[in-house]
Amino acid sequence: MSLEQATKADQPATDDDAMLVRVQREDFSIDEELKRVRRRSKRIGGIAMFLGTARDRSKGKDVDGITFEHYEGMAQKKLREIRERAIREFGVIEVLVLHRYGEIAIGDNIVLIIAAAEHRAEAFRACQWAIDELKQITPIWKLEHTPEGEVWVEEHP
Amino acid sequence: MVTIHLFGMTKMLAGNQGTLSLSLHDGKRVKDLVSVIDAAYPKIGELLQKKKVLVSVNQEIAHEDLEVKDGDEIALLPPFAGGSEGC
Repeated sequence: MSLEQATKADQPATDDDAMLVRVQREDFSIDEELKRVRRRSKRIGGIAMFLGTARDRSKGKDVDGITFEHYEGMAQKKLREIRERAIREFGVIEVLVLHRYGEIAIGDNIVLIIAAAEHRAEAFRACQWAIDELKQITPIWKLEHTPEGEVWVEEHP
Repeated sequence: MVTIHLFGMTKMLAGNQGTLSLSLHDGKRVKDLVSVIDAAYPKIGELLQKKKVLVSVNQEIAHEDLEVKDGDEIALLPPFAGGSEGC
């Protein structure tokens, strides 16, 4: 391999893989995250996105705010597994998985999944599978703040 | 000595402690750890017996027969609730 070729091949992607799987306190920009995914390949022809936001009601009770707690290290590991399996098993080109932690105000963003594929069918399937799987295997917990007090949410939706 | 990380309701049930330190002899398994926790924190013990709270060792859900070694990263994991409920 010539030096020129090696340099080209070794060029870092515009974003490294770490940016495609994140657990972070701060809010995210959907536009920026979409751009991040779109930059990964020119073969992308269909993108499905899921955005989870904080609702003001849960099981018939008012909710004033939510706090998410995560297991640092294991949460990221599980989200990486989800991204890798989604790409491998659903034939999509790229998947981004972000989850916020800390205090989240009603109406704010919580979780973002973006699945990009050549065609829409696999993008939809990968996106739905990824959010369902996230809820099953990712060590993230939710504390709801209600007028009656704080409640750790146990059940899977 | 092993350190056990607590989250969510398990942390609350342990008086808001983020970690527990327990002494375990060599050759002990996850089920022995569960017995020790049950004796000290019966409410957490009950959730562990019902499998509502799972034990992870080195960031993977552990079987009760898995041997626990000194320095292992152990955590008690209440039911997960990521995402936004009902979404």
